Amino acid sequence: MATVPRLLTYQDIPVWRHILIIQWTAQIVSGVVVVALVIWFFTNIGNAIQDRDIPYGFSFLSREYQTPIGEHFIPYESSDTFLYAFGVAITNTLIVAVAGVILATLLGIVIGVARLSGNWLVSKLATVYIEFFRNVPLLVQLLFWFFIILALPPVREGYVIGGMLYVNNGGISLPWPHVSGYAAALTWVALAVVAVVIGVALNKWLSYRETTTGKPSYPLIIGIAAPLLLGAIAWLVLSFATGDSPFFISTPEPQGRFGRIVGGFTARTGLLVMLLGLVIYTASFIAEIVRAGIQSVGRGQTEAARALGLSPMNTLRRVVFPQALRVIIPPLISQCLNLTKNSSLAGAVGYSDLTSVALTMTQTAPAVSIFMLIMGAYLAMSLTWSLIGNLYNRRLQFGGRR
Amino acid sequence: MAAQTVPPPAPAPIPDPVLPPRSEVGVTGWLHANLFSAWYNTVLTLVFGLIILLALGFGLNWVFNTAEWTVVVELGGRFIIGQYNTEAACPGQNCFWRPQVALLLVMALLGMAWGMSGNRVARVMALVSAGGTAALALLPYSMETMGLDVRLLLVANLPALALGWALARYTSLGTGARIAMLGVAVFLITLLLLRGLPGVPGLRPVSVIYWGGLMLNLVLAVGGITLSLPIGIALALGRRSSLPVVKVLCVTFIEVFRGVPLITLLFMSQVLVPLAFPENFPLNSLLRAGIVITLFSAAYMAENIRGGLQALHSGQEEAARALGLPGWETTLLISLPQAIRNVIPAIVGQFIGLFKDTSLVYIIGMLDIVEIGRVFVQGNAEYRANAKEVFVFVALVFWVFTYGMSYISQRIEEHLGVGRR
Amino acid sequence: MSRKVLTLVVVLAVAMVALIACQEDNTAAMEALQRENATMESEMAAMEARMAEMESMTAEMMEGGRLETVKARGNLICAGNNSLAGFGAADAAGNVGGFDIDLCRAVAVAVLGDANALEIRPTTAAERGPTMQSGEVDIMSRNTTWTSSRNAQWGNFAPTMFYDGQGFMVPTSLGVNTLAELEGAKICVQQGTTTELNVQDFDNQNNMNLEFVISADNIATNAAYLAGNCDALTTDRSGLVSTRAELDNPADHVILPGTISEEPLGPVVPHGDEQWYDLVSAVMGILIYAEAYGITQSNVPTAVTGDSAVDRLFGLEGDYGQEDMGLSKTAAQDIIRAVGNYGEIYDRHLTPLGLAREGSRNALWSAAPCTDCPKGGQVYTAPLR
Ligand SMILES: N[C@@H](CCC(=O)N[C@@H](CS)C(=O)NCC(=O)O)C(=O)O
Repeated sequence: MATVPRLLTYQDIPVWRHILIIQWTAQIVSGVVVVALVIWFFTNIGNAIQDRDIPYGFSFLSREYQTPIGEHFIPYESSDTFLYAFGVAITNTLIVAVAGVILATLLGIVIGVARLSGNWLVSKLATVYIEFFRNVPLLVQLLFWFFIILALPPVREGYVIGGMLYVNNGGISLPWPHVSGYAAALTWVALAVVAVVIGVALNKWLSYRETTTGKPSYPLIIGIAAPLLLGAIAWLVLSFATGDSPFFISTPEPQGRFGRIVGGFTARTGLLVMLLGLVIYTASFIAEIVRAGIQSVGRGQTEAARALGLSPMNTLRRVVFPQALRVIIPPLISQCLNLTKNSSLAGAVGYSDLTSVALTMTQTAPAVSIFMLIMGAYLAMSLTWSLIGNLYNRRLQFGGRR
Repeated sequence: MAAQTVPPPAPAPIPDPVLPPRSEVGVTGWLHANLFSAWYNTVLTLVFGLIILLALGFGLNWVFNTAEWTVVVELGGRFIIGQYNTEAACPGQNCFWRPQVALLLVMALLGMAWGMSGNRVARVMALVSAGGTAALALLPYSMETMGLDVRLLLVANLPALALGWALARYTSLGTGARIAMLGVAVFLITLLLLRGLPGVPGLRPVSVIYWGGLMLNLVLAVGGITLSLPIGIALALGRRSSLPVVKVLCVTFIEVFRGVPLITLLFMSQVLVPLAFPENFPLNSLLRAGIVITLFSAAYMAENIRGGLQALHSGQEEAARALGLPGWETTLLISLPQAIRNVIPAIVGQFIGLFKDTSLVYIIGMLDIVEIGRVFVQGNAEYRANAKEVFVFVALVFWVFTYGMSYISQRIEEHLGVGRR
Repeated sequence: MSRKVLTLVVVLAVAMVALIACQEDNTAAMEALQRENATMESEMAAMEARMAEMESMTAEMMEGGRLETVKARGNLICAGNNSLAGFGAADAAGNVGGFDIDLCRAVAVAVLGDANALEIRPTTAAERGPTMQSGEVDIMSRNTTWTSSRNAQWGNFAPTMFYDGQGFMVPTSLGVNTLAELEGAKICVQQGTTTELNVQDFDNQNNMNLEFVISADNIATNAAYLAGNCDALTTDRSGLVSTRAELDNPADHVILPGTISEEPLGPVVPHGDEQWYDLVSAVMGILIYAEAYGITQSNVPTAVTGDSAVDRLFGLEGDYGQEDMGLSKTAAQDIIRAVGNYGEIYDRHLTPLGLAREGSRNALWSAAPCTDCPKGGQVYTAPLR
């Protein structure tokens, strides 16, 4: 009879060594320690605030701000409240962030594709671009562009292109549509919504037709062109019918003894530098993401598509890119997040973004409260980006994994 | 072709090798394949060729004719050590030797790395760094601006390298683990040298506010890099943990630090954090900045590593478990090494990011290599027009380091055979 | 072997962290404080009834003592400017100096006996409030305007060191001669300053239709102005003079007549420590008094002169409250010998910029002891006695 070795059973292990007990003790201890630390940290800050007569609280938000903001895209008067000024600053950040993300993505895709180009010169150029711009701190690049833009001639000696476009070190001014009034603005918004709906519907329907019948139907082009055309017609009709157009185009023009440019839209120095810096910098990362994405699609896909007679352009657009997108989107979203956060360097080049305006606010309002507001605002923006990323991932999952 | 005229040689007729048309071999072939393969390629080549020529012409003209590089020359050593050797920082003493000695130690370390591994990358790196720094001794500054002692200490980088190499070759110090430990020691000694010791003659304490220039960027980067990896790993494991409390804590930490811009965090570390500590609490501004940069970077690192862990096939873990490895050993010995190996580019990318981010310490009033240039240009009327030169130079300095890092990472990847499975 | 190395590394690491972290060895001070607290606590137990009162006292004990803190630390942390020539700027070698900085040097001499026991922390205008509130700096001397809300929020303002007002500078080529002609101009102004607030008022009140180019610091502001990004630069007049003096071609720029605000510039100390505030005020007084009595760096008395006021100031007879403020009896001797009197400081840093003192608001109110023959300036201090 062989002696069967006695197996270890649960009864042999003392209670305190039970895995669940260990784990939960560890968890509770660490949780308590962390929470205690956090509480300790904030209590101390609270005490210091009291002892040193440091102002705090949020009542300042309804006070008048009374300070100029360099650049604003929604109307702002110095008599507006802190809360509103905060909104103005957030808008400024959002504008560079959104414009930056769009431009950087476009540039990034171009450069990423160029890097894989069969043309030696083009691919080498793209490589040099990527290796240079992503390896130099954004701050240095921004400062560089700042001084480059400042080296342009000042307003009064600036370049005027076609009497419409003003380029000088104060920025670039170009003609811009403006709404004529409140009623007109509403009409305009309604029109825009209708046009977008029509465009999307057309695009959907044409793509469907194309995939089912195989007839080329140009869904993208028509989807964009049709609403534009409709909009133009509607505008003409409306302006004839009411004698008042929903919007008018204002052209920039120098005015007064200082030749300051009024009318149109002026992308001022700060905005220009921010866009230049952020787009060029971020595009170098996006290009790498795009390249990796495209390379992740098996060669077989390209070869098969080519064998089926698709042109290189169509192969890229219809076969490779849609598949690469799965790999591209998640890191792309995190680049968007980075770009948004990097816009906080705006202060160094004179753009009134959230961080810089908030810093100015500490002059007349409690700094502690302001820091909380900035943290909250940026966290909200980041979470929004994460949300977009997650939604996209969800959609991918519905579409089924390859 | 010639083969046609000669009758085929006897036994079996060997099919003629079809030679490629002349247009596909040699220089013309290369040109054709890579630059002019189709009409649109030709157009691209021409257009971009023109652009490159124009840009090169403009750039070279600027570099050699328009640009005034005297500003860079004038700033010289300050780019490297900032205000460290000023009268205010180090009254009545010459403190320049302290960073220089630290540099010698680093060189010796590089020499050891080369001596141990003996591979090409290490050799190139060691030789280039030592040669480059030693060459600085030959800069045509007057003896007053750059004394003999300074020059000699610079030249000493070469023997330091050789010494390190020999140590690694001929003593028992030449193993990876020991060199890594020595590396940590050298870093700490560097900090000690720079900071000084109260009461020791010649080592008068230098306040961290005067640490500056490239030295500051490097100190912050090295400290941050070494610490952010382990913290990042811990956070990543914590985030994947099945223990809810740990998971929530890690997720919160990661999301908060990733969600807020670094300069906001840095600024808060200077004006908010001190409120939480008693007035004399030993936590100076550099340390606080270092901690913030490290934690910020660790949060990103955690996400990279988590990506690597997620991509691992669950079979790896299951196999390890089946073999009877306990849970934490499975993670430590099986999952992590593979995960890290898979995301080396992302990790190195994060290191590079951290190094670049050290330029943000300007927001807390520290004069790193970027800020020192900016302040100098503004403060000296004769150089005010030369800001561009300063930033181009600074960009190049950063580029040399960051590109070096990515080059090494590529070599490591090749060495580990990532992507060749 | 490797275990030994490991131990070594760990020991080194611990030592290093302690070293790097410690601003200075301050265990003694901390211990003293703790002991004090301990005694206090026992008292508190004994006197339950006076609990509340005691608590507020403990708070004061903890909060005060900046003088002790500075002494223990061994250097004075001074928030300063590093880019405003004359007031606070880095020279070519990287050393920061100037009119404002000399006050910090004087305080460093008074407290530590060494004008170089000083750490200048560069702060941009907008960072000043949070920096003061953090309690990390002992004094801020950085062309900062004394206003009531700053006094309430940032810290206490010691006596004014320089009386100023806000002006405008324009390129001569614009042909602008008066403020009124600036209508419709673009104005460069720095973020986080009183001048930013004043120029907004000026715009609103006079319907000037101004547009602002706002930059984060002096460097960016001046760069924008010089590039012609704006038509005029506005800041304290002294700041304008300083900026102008540093230009390649000062003659190409003109500072317009007309002042739109009152800008008394002075040092700030953190809230919550009256002794420290008194000390800084007294140091300012010493600088001004020494000038009034004609004592310069070169003729600091070390033996009784017979003039009671002078003898008292220099600790040769009687006292002016040194002990209560925590100053040494002969602090004034050290201060004047190290940095000179107010007039010498002014001459050293501001006269070269072209900021004439004679007949300006920054002349002395009167030379002592001659109170009935005023010089007409506003520089004045509480009598040191
Ligand atoms: N006195 C004003 C202005 C002070 C101020 O910051 N002035 C500017 C220009 S004169 C300056 O010194 N800037 C230096 C910097 O921020 O780097 C105030 O207290 O707000």
